[in-house]
Amino acid sequence: MGSFCSRQKPYNEADAEENEQAEEIERRIARETKAEQHIHKLLLLGESGKSTIFKQIKLLFQTGFDEAELGSYTSVIHANVYQTIKILFDGAKELAQNESDSSKYVVSCENKDVGEKLSDIGSRLDYPYLTKEIADEIKTLWNDAAIQEAYSRGNILQVPDCAQYFMENLERLSETDYVPTKEDVLYARVRTTGVVEIQFSPVGESRKSGEVYRLYDVGGQRNERRKWIHLFEGVRAVIFCAAISEYDQMLFEDEMKNRMMETKELFDWVLKQACFEKTSFMLFLNKFDIFEKKVQKVPLNVCEWFRDYQPMASGKQEVEHAYEFVKKKFEGLYFQSTKPERVDRVFKIYRTTALDQKLVKKTFKLVDETLRRRNLIEAGLL
Amino acid sequence: MPQYQQPPSWRLEGGGQILDLETAVKDGILGGGGGGGGLGGAAGEKVDLKKMIEELEPVEDVPSVFICPISLEPMVDPVTLCTGQTYERSNILKWLSMGHLTCPTTMQELWDDAVTPNRTLHQLIHAWFSQHYLRFKKRSEDVQGRAAELLEILKKKVKGQARVQALKELQKMVVNHSSVQKTVADSGGIALLISLLGPFTSHAVGSEAIGILVNLSLDSEAMVNLMQPAKISLVVDMLNEGTIDTKINCTRLIEMLMGEKDFRSEIVSSLSLLAGLMRLAKDRRHPSGSWAGLSLLKTICSHERVRGLIVSVGAVSQLVELLPNLSQECLELTLQILDDLSTIPEGRVALKDCPQTIPNAVRLLMRVSESCTQYALSILWAVCKLAPDECASLAVEAGLAAKLLLVIQSGCSPELKQRSAELLKLCSLNYTATLFISKCKLTRTIQ
Repeated sequence: MGSFCSRQKPYNEADAEENEQAEEIERRIARETKAEQHIHKLLLLGESGKSTIFKQIKLLFQTGFDEAELGSYTSVIHANVYQTIKILFDGAKELAQNESDSSKYVVSCENKDVGEKLSDIGSRLDYPYLTKEIADEIKTLWNDAAIQEAYSRGNILQVPDCAQYFMENLERLSETDYVPTKEDVLYARVRTTGVVEIQFSPVGESRKSGEVYRLYDVGGQRNERRKWIHLFEGVRAVIFCAAISEYDQMLFEDEMKNRMMETKELFDWVLKQACFEKTSFMLFLNKFDIFEKKVQKVPLNVCEWFRDYQPMASGKQEVEHAYEFVKKKFEGLYFQSTKPERVDRVFKIYRTTALDQKLVKKTFKLVDETLRRRNLIEAGLL
Repeated sequence: MPQYQQPPSWRLEGGGQILDLETAVKDGILGGGGGGGGLGGAAGEKVDLKKMIEELEPVEDVPSVFICPISLEPMVDPVTLCTGQTYERSNILKWLSMGHLTCPTTMQELWDDAVTPNRTLHQLIHAWFSQHYLRFKKRSEDVQGRAAELLEILKKKVKGQARVQALKELQKMVVNHSSVQKTVADSGGIALLISLLGPFTSHAVGSEAIGILVNLSLDSEAMVNLMQPAKISLVVDMLNEGTIDTKINCTRLIEMLMGEKDFRSEIVSSLSLLAGLMRLAKDRRHPSGSWAGLSLLKTICSHERVRGLIVSVGAVSQLVELLPNLSQECLELTLQILDDLSTIPEGRVALKDCPQTIPNAVRLLMRVSESCTQYALSILWAVCKLAPDECASLAVEAGLAAKLLLVIQSGCSPELKQRSAELLKLCSLNYTATLFISKCKLTRTIQ
């Protein structure tokens, strides 16, 4: 009896504690799962422009960047400056060798040495701080006619979009106590690796109802996308950023591939993924400001997808006409890649210029309204 | 002599009007002041009276004693016959001039063909209309005043909920009062509303603005303004996302634009629009929405260049599958759309590939109306011509032959009969005579 009793003693103290802990964990999981349901997850996909949108959301709906965060971008921006001038200088040399009218790409004698020096700096892993002297040298080189000519051929040289902005602000960027402004941060280019996320409350109506958004930005890596994409099943919406100004540019990773064609394939692939069957798609046709200027000089037909484009007018009307054409192409791609059963998912197209904070705010308000209405419709309340 | 006691409430029949003597005198209906006047002012009065009747008759309940039994309209110049019945002068004179010598309502023979002006009734009619007219005008002015206020609010560019509420109120007023429509148009309201529509317009604002615009008559300039791609995109978005009323308003707006001479078919060559219309057409819960969607699709289909796009969103099979459950009006629209789509190669292929096309079309022959039969026949013809071997047998199995015989024997137009005969011949090619004849017998289901 005694031994029976002692064997029957159900739990000793350690076991009791463990069970208590296990139950506590279960409760926490249940609570958090419930809380998670009220968090609307948004996934940023696309070839370029995602991170800018990401930064804008941070600036608009969170507390923005604090001093430390702003400061952390200094080295990035300086790096961008060195990279840009190197690309331009090396590019000018290449064009001088390969182009028929080579003389206009030959850098003037005074600037040649500086150019070589800067090109050398640009190829290192570590960049020096951008001092006034170096900034002046870069400024002089930037103003060289040959470099300007090379800049006008920027689409084949992988010149980043931030080139002009940084070159125009060199004096400010090279101050000893330089702290990047919000705008500087928006222009800074750094390749995202891994996944970053921010959580925020949207504006207006939804704030009162306690709705929360969580935005994910995955890196631009092309490899093995199919392996991790399904982890995002159940996101409320995919925000797909397509830079419409890139119709005449080639990929950084593969200079034979047109960027717009790459975007087209990516969009097609994403639309067909089973995990996004019920997901709303918000297509941001981004970099409209660059598109506006480019379309009047470089015809859309240089991109294979747009080869059937026929210009209609000129000036502002032509820009609108070109934009509508591109929009219809994406629409056509959507309906082509979408099985009939899926056609009911939300699909909206927005014209964006990610660098313009006001526009991003307005655009996001509309995205928010659409998602809220969708919620109400699905709950049968509309 | 006993004093004549007026009953305490002397009532006029009809309508919601109860006139007792006290109120009648107080309100001046029974004379008092310059009210009635003699016949001297009669001519002038009559013109005013005609105008008042014209404006009030549709909206107010006119007491039945004021109505002429012949024309059922309020009387402007009431005259009484010897039988005591009162009619509008011109109507009863016409009656009498046709040779009738009876009182139209009592059927009594007239012993006296005199026609006496009923001055009392005339005065009452005039007074009643005057009073109601004044009230009507005042209400109308109030409403117009409020509408003008709302437009001022909107012009000041209020934002958010204030703007949405102002638009909502204005929309209700525009729908209920035609006078407000004029106010909005006259004070630049149309241009204001159109300026609210753009790529950043929220759904709340856009849906209300469109709800107002569809109830106004828009001039050319307004229509051209609306045809800008960014505004059309907004309308299409709302057609896809809005409530059923918003969706119907959007279809109405687009139909209005399509009637404009500057309209170009590129404007409706939007896959989102066409997919949205198909979704609307298939919505069983809202038959009025379904009709609106089909109606616009039909109008769009009349533009050849858009037909290919319509087929590419899978409209053909979806429309064919809708056929068995549609009301008659929707049926005609749907068949007409399918017929239009059968004029292009992709449309014909889609029709042939959909397994329900032949059975549904055959079933509809001689079932609903002559035009439905005509369209169904045309569709069958297109499909059978495309793939005679495959389709002819399917059609015959579905009972086509018997139906075609019905058409030929019916009172339909000669062209229709001719077509039927040709189709019959086409279908009979693969059958022996006896086998075919057996297929022509009306089966129970078809009967």
